[in-house]
Amino acid sequence: MSDRFGPIGQVDERQLRLLVRDWRHGRADRSLLQALSDAYVMVFAVILIGAMLVSSVMQAQRLGATCDSAECLASRGLIPWAAVAACLAFALVLARMFGPILASVAEGFWLLEGTVDRRRLLRWRLFGAVTVALLVGAGLGAIFAALVGSGGAVILTWALAAGLGCFGLVALAAAEQGDERRWLVTLLVWLTGAVAFVALGLLVVISAGLVAPGPIATLGLEFAYVVAGAGTVLGLVATALAWSRMNKIRRQRLVAGGSLVAGMQGAAFALDLALVRDILVETRSRARGHVRPTRGAGRGITALIMRDVQRLWRDPKPLVFWLGSMLVPYALQALGVGQLSPPLSALVLMGALIGFCNSLRVLTRTKGLQRCLPFGPGQIRQAAMAVPAVLAALWGLAVTPAFLGLVGGRSVDIGVGLTASLITAAAGLLAAVRWVTAKPANYGGPLVATTGFGALPPGLLFALFKGVDIVALVTLPIVLGLPSWVSLVIAVISFMALRSGMDQQSLLEQSEEQRRLLDEEKAKRAGLGGTKVKVQRKR
Amino acid sequence: MAKKDIVLQVKRLKKAYGPTTIVDGFDLQVAAGEAVALTGRNGAGKSTVLRCIVGADRPDEGTIEVLGTKMSEANPEIRRDVATVIDDLDFFPDLSVVEHLDLLARAHGLEDPDDLVDEVLEEVQLVPQAGQLPATLSSGQRRRLALATAFVRPRRLLVLDEPEQRLDVEGVAWLGKRLKEELADGLAVVLASHEPSLLEAIGARQVRLTR
Repeated sequence: MSDRFGPIGQVDERQLRLLVRDWRHGRADRSLLQALSDAYVMVFAVILIGAMLVSSVMQAQRLGATCDSAECLASRGLIPWAAVAACLAFALVLARMFGPILASVAEGFWLLEGTVDRRRLLRWRLFGAVTVALLVGAGLGAIFAALVGSGGAVILTWALAAGLGCFGLVALAAAEQGDERRWLVTLLVWLTGAVAFVALGLLVVISAGLVAPGPIATLGLEFAYVVAGAGTVLGLVATALAWSRMNKIRRQRLVAGGSLVAGMQGAAFALDLALVRDILVETRSRARGHVRPTRGAGRGITALIMRDVQRLWRDPKPLVFWLGSMLVPYALQALGVGQLSPPLSALVLMGALIGFCNSLRVLTRTKGLQRCLPFGPGQIRQAAMAVPAVLAALWGLAVTPAFLGLVGGRSVDIGVGLTASLITAAAGLLAAVRWVTAKPANYGGPLVATTGFGALPPGLLFALFKGVDIVALVTLPIVLGLPSWVSLVIAVISFMALRSGMDQQSLLEQSEEQRRLLDEEKAKRAGLGGTKVKVQRKR
Repeated sequence: MAKKDIVLQVKRLKKAYGPTTIVDGFDLQVAAGEAVALTGRNGAGKSTVLRCIVGADRPDEGTIEVLGTKMSEANPEIRRDVATVIDDLDFFPDLSVVEHLDLLARAHGLEDPDDLVDEVLEEVQLVPQAGQLPATLSSGQRRRLALATAFVRPRRLLVLDEPEQRLDVEGVAWLGKRLKEELADGLAVVLASHEPSLLEAIGARQVRLTR
């Protein structure tokens, strides 16, 4: 132990913090530099992918800057609005979910139990949260402004708006955490989310020629100044408030965020995003605690479907995202990238439909509950897909005008447009089902040696692309101009595979079972003895 | 014993995990109205045998038949006849206690299961928790809910893995009484248990596993 800790018996919060840091450093067996040099392949990959992304953004910025049509001007003015509002809503959601001030379970048990000044112990968590919000918000704001072809000064303005806005709202969430209040943050989430949807909707109607663009482009920049200024003032005031209230935050509230992070980290290391979502759903369910029970409807397999309908009635929040996702194909057409609309819209729809697949997730992640039901696995999967499938079909019909080219882009006849929108909807549905039901990487099977990361299961990296793979398979034929029946055939095959729940493990088990039966049959035949038939052949 | 009375037939069951053989050459026959208890030390293979019986694990050798049908975990008929309470039971995070039972009863074909569900809820002493979501239940309450899922649906064979776990003394006594009634009605029960009072209450035939 170093002499920084002062005389024995005079431990204060700063010394405690240093002591914990000393223990942690003392137990580390590698420095950061050593870890990075071990993982140099990954570092190179990150640099390469980062450079590609920056280059793509710059290229898009150059291309977008040359466009001066009404649609482009409207998108240049409105998309940063939508993006900044979405960033603010997302920052608030994360801040509310994790704290934003949090402590690990160990800290909660060993340190916060005592008569310590929590403010001195946890102040870096507060400063860390607002700094991360500032930097990430600014980065995202800059990227979106660049993507629509804005100039350097405008990009900087939007970056400041998003960054300082996120800073202000996360600081406000921290201040509210000290007062154990949630309603203000919840209200702001809805408000900022509504601004994002309204901005996207406005973009669609302007692109459709229903509303004149007007002074949207300059108004956008004025909005950015307002957000940046308000964010700065709010951030400074709220940080001071959060600091003064930090001692009032309950230990349980601090530890809840820490244990949520720990659980999500574990799932994220296995790249099991569905498990990350399970942890969030469980946390939300624990926070809710109690519901007013409703009587079920129907019997047999219908009871399962009706329960999903009742779920939707009880918690209609996912419908907001689903409705918002309908704007995406329109916005893409308006931006002149309608050719990429099937894969991009299907990916957004996948994200929107995952919220409706809770029963499918629970019924497929373990077999215990499934075994209680008197149906085959295929029947159960099909029933659990019913509500998401109806929503996907409605989505497909609602976005058909976008695929017909009614809001810009190339016009096509109704058959082609309707087929494309329904195929996109099917791709989104199948991708959501794949995302929810795919088995996590199997650490019990053969592992592959990697540089810097030790032994990993071969399917680990594919876990990141589950869902995306189905979207690519089903929608790329449309992008490539192939006949639509190609996509339909792929979609039907994907549905059959997802319905049957075939995965590598069960295929392996099936093949082992077949081999075992064959061996048993051979042994039985051998056991008959003495009656072997010898067929006479001519030499 | 007449063949029609046999509910569960296990022949020459073998299961190994890697180089470790957990159970080898295990035979078991359970008739309607009979309770069989698997006993033995921790790690003797009780849970492994039960997992094979319900189809959660695939045996390496041997056969398992339920009411004359070869065991297949995905077979709807077997799922209809076999009620299980083993450790892999999951719950819907957004459905309350009473809604879980209502859903299971309806899925098994009961048109108006309110009375049955209320009766079972009262038996497992979860009436005050009827509207609670599973994440907020204590481990003992979750155990009671798991047991309730087995009693709210039709069944011919009941498979229980250490059902007394996390139950209080009154809970174990209730379970013994309930299983005795079920046995009298012709249910076949296979369970793993370390609770002598429970086994005595239901008059279970004991099969000791050694490894």
